[in-house]
Amino acid sequence: MVKEEGIIAENLFFRYSNFPVLSNISFEIKKGEFVAITGPNGSGKTTLLKLILGILQPESGKITIYGHDSSEREQIQAITGFMPQREHISSGFPILVRDVMMMGISARKRLKKLSEEDEEIAIKALEAVGMNEEFLNRKFDRLSGGQKQRVLFARAIAVEPEILLLDEPFNGVDIPSQNRMLDTVMELRRKGKTVIIVVHNINPLLHHIDKLMLLRNRLIACGRIEEVLTEQNLRKAYGASIPIIYCEEGFGHPVYGDTH
Amino acid sequence: MELLPLQPYIIRALLGVFLISLNASIAGSFTVFRNVSFLVAGASHSALAGAALFILLGSMGMPEINPIVGGLIFALIVAISAGYTRKEDINTVIGISFAMSMSLAVLLISMIREYSSRVWTLLIGDIYLLTQHDIYLMVGVTAFNITLILMFYRAFLFISFDFEGAEAFGLNARLYNYVLLSIIALSSVILLKGVGAILVFAMLVAPAAASNEVARNIREVFLFSFLIALLSGLGGIAVSFFVDVSPGAFASLLATLTYFFILSLRRLSGKVQI
Repeated sequence: MVKEEGIIAENLFFRYSNFPVLSNISFEIKKGEFVAITGPNGSGKTTLLKLILGILQPESGKITIYGHDSSEREQIQAITGFMPQREHISSGFPILVRDVMMMGISARKRLKKLSEEDEEIAIKALEAVGMNEEFLNRKFDRLSGGQKQRVLFARAIAVEPEILLLDEPFNGVDIPSQNRMLDTVMELRRKGKTVIIVVHNINPLLHHIDKLMLLRNRLIACGRIEEVLTEQNLRKAYGASIPIIYCEEGFGHPVYGDTH
Repeated sequence: MELLPLQPYIIRALLGVFLISLNASIAGSFTVFRNVSFLVAGASHSALAGAALFILLGSMGMPEINPIVGGLIFALIVAISAGYTRKEDINTVIGISFAMSMSLAVLLISMIREYSSRVWTLLIGDIYLLTQHDIYLMVGVTAFNITLILMFYRAFLFISFDFEGAEAFGLNARLYNYVLLSIIALSSVILLKGVGAILVFAMLVAPAAASNEVARNIREVFLFSFLIALLSGLGGIAVSFFVDVSPGAFASLLATLTYFFILSLRRLSGKVQI
């Protein structure tokens, strides 16, 4: 049963071998919030997602996800959907979109036999990202970069997660597809689902997110956009001056330039 | 010409080719999907040390056990070591295991000179020398591997495509990785007697790699790799009736040539860059 608590991290510390990746990380994400995590390369964004997923365990500190300690991996993964970075995918073989879509559903069913209903769920998830049934029999490797991203996104939402974790979902995705994915995310949020998204470029999300986390191996800032996106915080995160331009709606947009 | 095909050794050779083809299909395809081709070479050569050890123990009065069983144990150790290491170190670990096992094999062979030919047979292989016991062992291991693949097909596909995603969706990806690498290692070893350690790579990887280039889906990779391995194996046997050549070597040559032929065709059609 899903408990009412959100995601609470207290003094997280994590390192790979002798290299500390995250230090002194504390934050709270309420149930139903749409949160973005941003920061430069190697700042620990993906590692933080893996800590939330229970794939990695903190060396010290504590993280609870909807009331479950991060060590309760099975319970956490039963309520989460994950979209990895496309670069981590190995698709040098003729795997079909159908196979990819069924992966998450099959894992969630503990590899039990798939039914026609499962295929319908997969089709619905594809439709939610602007693709249709015809794509099921296409080779994943033959899709464009943006289409691959959308399939991976559809795979994540097909398991109807309470918490959706997306790692760089907009890489190589054109603006219309990006907007469609964002619409789906907003629809999930309206249904009370928590969405956590890791991005390099925060600008496409600024008008939609509830909370922003700025990382550079430690939490530079966490909270409302206007609190986080200050020139001082951006300098701390990126080690360079990043100008901020304000749009008509009053949101400050960082102009990254060549910073990353 | 006498009715050679009725001879028991011919029937065993044909059965051997069929079993090799099944392994080329299931284990070979996943070797390509998981991108661990070097494990095939590492496991099959490491198996020589295991076989040599069992022959040595047999010569010292211990109960006689099929040397291939020793090979299976050593190959499993290599597979588990490979699964334990980080992805970027996997080929280094397999390579060092390969070298260590070969050193051990040569050392052990030097201690059992009168039986050393039995070990060297595994290096070169001969499909006509398969015994009834070898066939039983091949059937047992192949059935075991097919059962595991059928049971965990989607998990193996998931970890081959997206290891991180498989972990995130709640699969015990590390455990499935150990099982998959063990299946590949076991398949590599039971091909030893038929085609030899040197040529296992050709019969296990080349058919799947060739199929991977032309197949429209995963099932076709399994089907085509089975057919390429089967036709190559039968071709090897057929040619050896007329010319005094090693059927295993000829079959491996056919399988590898098929791969390069398909790759060339794909290059000519502009679908792949070599």
